[in-house]
Formats: sequence, structure tokens, C-alpha cells
Amino acid sequence: MDRTVDEDVSGAFSKGHPDALALVYERFGSLVYSIAVRALGAKSDAEDVTQQVFVSAWRSRDTFDPGRGTLGGWLVTITRNKIADAMRQRQRESRVLLQVAGGAAVQAPEAPADQVVDRIMLADELAQLPESQRLVMVLAFYSDLTHGQIAQVLGLPLGTVKSHIRRSLQRLRSRLEADGVAY
Amino acid sequence: MSHTDPMILALRALGEPVGTPRDDDHAQTCAHCRQQLARLSELVDLARSGGPVESLEQPPPAVWDRIAAEVAGDLAAAANGAATGNGTAVIPARMAEPARVDAGHGREESAADAAHGRRSRRARGRLATVLAGVAAGLIIGIGGTAGIVQLTRAPATRVVAQIELSPLPAFPQWQGTTGTAVMRATGSQQLMVVTLHAPQRSGFYEVWLLARNGVSMISLGDLNADQTGTFTLPPGVDLRDYSRIDISLQPFNGSTLHSKTSVVRGSLPAVALGAAPSA
Repeated sequence: MDRTVDEDVSGAFSKGHPDALALVYERFGSLVYSIAVRALGAKSDAEDVTQQVFVSAWRSRDTFDPGRGTLGGWLVTITRNKIADAMRQRQRESRVLLQVAGGAAVQAPEAPADQVVDRIMLADELAQLPESQRLVMVLAFYSDLTHGQIAQVLGLPLGTVKSHIRRSLQRLRSRLEADGVAY
Repeated sequence: MSHTDPMILALRALGEPVGTPRDDDHAQTCAHCRQQLARLSELVDLARSGGPVESLEQPPPAVWDRIAAEVAGDLAAAANGAATGNGTAVIPARMAEPARVDAGHGREESAADAAHGRRSRRARGRLATVLAGVAAGLIIGIGGTAGIVQLTRAPATRVVAQIELSPLPAFPQWQGTTGTAVMRATGSQQLMVVTLHAPQRSGFYEVWLLARNGVSMISLGDLNADQTGTFTLPPGVDLRDYSRIDISLQPFNGSTLHSKTSVVRGSLPAVALGAAPSA
């Protein structure tokens, strides 16, 4: 019952369907790109990282094991690695620049805080919820409304709002836990 | 003793004081319930840390083109390597493109037309297989073509703000009426999703943007019979000026002007004011 779009995309990908990469990109492109933008700032760097992540994911698709974690979590791990590479590259370049200019010590680049990545992954999972559940959860998280008030505001039965809240919280939590599996 | 109702744990994680003292006692002594509550509370803390929902950004279309070109290069190289073999290498005539049509994608024009056509058909067949698998899952999962749309058109809207609408003191007859406006941004436009909970009255409810001077107004449109509506904000409208939302009850008198009967009103929060559509 809990079979999701993600699992289908992930299954097609791990079976090596060439066309599956397009589906994977469609599903996870904005997640990877958003993390890269937040980490690197410059959009052109984030675009390069996004390209590297998906090409690298395709080339190493044999190492993806759906039994060991989610495709989203695997892609986020690759994204972190590519971001780290991009930052090291930047550091090398700025060191050279500073040597040329005779400047002071180079600041170590900052890796994206785990919490930022987690928050972007949460936003991505929220975006996957059906519309009415998503609205309920956005109000539950970000407004001061009680579940009773949310029901009133959205014109939904109280029982529906309660079950949306319970199920969506559980789903978000277990999906994020699954995504967080480190390879 | 049975475990605490998961519903109560979920609401408590959100900070709502629900449940009985018995639930308190249980939650403190039962490792299972304590852990459940902690898991959900962590999620809520994560969501609420650092402001509103993170916005997801769509990569520019060129990024996919570059990925597809690079992967196509891999496949071509693999095909060349296997050219003397029995031709089992799988070569898509072109990579399927997500959510957009790309005109200039001809790679190997030297390939015989017949072979090219055969490969194209095969590639389409594979995509159909992939999609069929996806669709099969959707029938069990979230069902039907809506899910396909959700998949192939990645969610591109984000919530910018939620605005509570409440009656004005000057209109005591509307006390108890509530409304909400959820402002969303897509790549190119801003949407306002409005819901109202008002008594059924003769006439219809109309949604307006109201300027600071209290006089200038822009009509966004009428609410449906179920008192909801989704409206596109006029491109370029200055929300720092038109910063209030007003819902009026309009009589069926043919006038396009505001009836001066304001049902509920709300102000856009600061976060919405500078919210230019992300290009």
C-alpha cells in the first residue's frame, strides 16, 4: 500500500533503463540543485554539480542497491561528495590567487550544514504529499493553528485533518530516516 | 496498559496540549511511546527551525541537456566498442527528455535511416515500459494519471505565505466568519488560493487586493459555490502597496464595483511583499 512513485522510479533506474535517468532527474533534479545552490551560492557551480551528480549516478548505477536505502538518499550522498569536491577545487583556486597576490591564510570552505540539507529534503518530501495533505502539514508546521482551526480554515472534517497529520508526520519521518541512510 | 494513541503523539509533537494525565504517565514510563514522540518532535523541530519551508529551485533546462549529452556520449562509446559483436548494446536513439521538448537532438546522422527508425521505436518501447511500471505502482499508490503528472511535472510551486482572513470590527454581522489565503509562487507567476467559511447569502463572494490608501482595489475574481478559488495575481502588481486581501459579498446588481460589504480581510506578511516570482 505504501508503494510510491519514488520506488517505481528507483526500480526502473536500478534495472538500468536508459530512459529512467530522465525520470530520476525529473523527480530529484530540483532536490539536488537546491542543495547545491544553498551550499555553493553560485548558480553556475550548482549547475555543474547537478550535472556531475546525475552523470555519476548513471555511471555508477550498478552500485545503487534499492534494498539498502532510497534513491533520494543515495543521490544526496553523491551530491554532498560533489559539493565537497567543488569546494576543494575552489579552495585550490583561491590559494593560488592568494599566493599570486601574496595574501593571508585561506579560509577553509564550509560544507553544507546537515540541517540545511535535511530541511531541503523535508521541503522535497512535503512537495510529494498530495495537495490537501501538504496544505494541512504546512499549516500544522508553520502557522499557530490547532488541528481544529486547520480543519475550520480548510473546510475539512476534523477526522480527516487528524489522520492527515498523523499519517503525514509518520510518512515524512520514515522517509527522511530512510533517505538519511549513509552509504 | 496499551500504548498512547499515535494521534495524540502526533499532535503533541506539534505542540498541542492534547490527551489525558494517563497519557502523560504512560508516555513517561513507556520507552516505545517516548521514542515515537521523540522521533516526531525531531521532525517538527527540523521543520520549524530557521523559518518557513525551504524553497526548491528548478535547475535551468540546459542542465538536463548537458547530462543527456554526456550520457549519450557514454552510450555511443560503448556501442562503438561493441560494434563488432552481435549488437546487443542498448542504445537509445535519444534520451527521453523530462517535461520539455528538445528540437535539436540529432546525434549520429550517418546512421542508416532504417536502423535509426528501429532504434527510435525501441527507445520509445522502453520508455513505455518504464512508464507502465510507474503507472502500475501509481494505481496502488496514489492512483491514476494525476500521479503521472505529478511525476513528470516536478512540483514547481512553493508556498510563500499563509494569511488569516478575519472579519472587520465594523461588520459585526460577519463575526465567526473565517478565511485563509495561501500565496504560492511558481516559476513565472504568483497564485492566491483562497478559502472562506461564511454563511450562504444571496449574492456572491468576490476577492480583492486592497491598496494602502484604502481606496484603490484590484478584483482577483469570484469564489466558487464551495467558497474557494484560485487566482493568479496580476503580473507586476506592487504587493507593498496592494498589501491587503479583502473578500466582499456582492449583490447581483450588475455593478463591478466593491459592494462596500467587507466580509473578511487580511494583510500580506512581510515575507510575501518582496516575493518576486523566482525566474
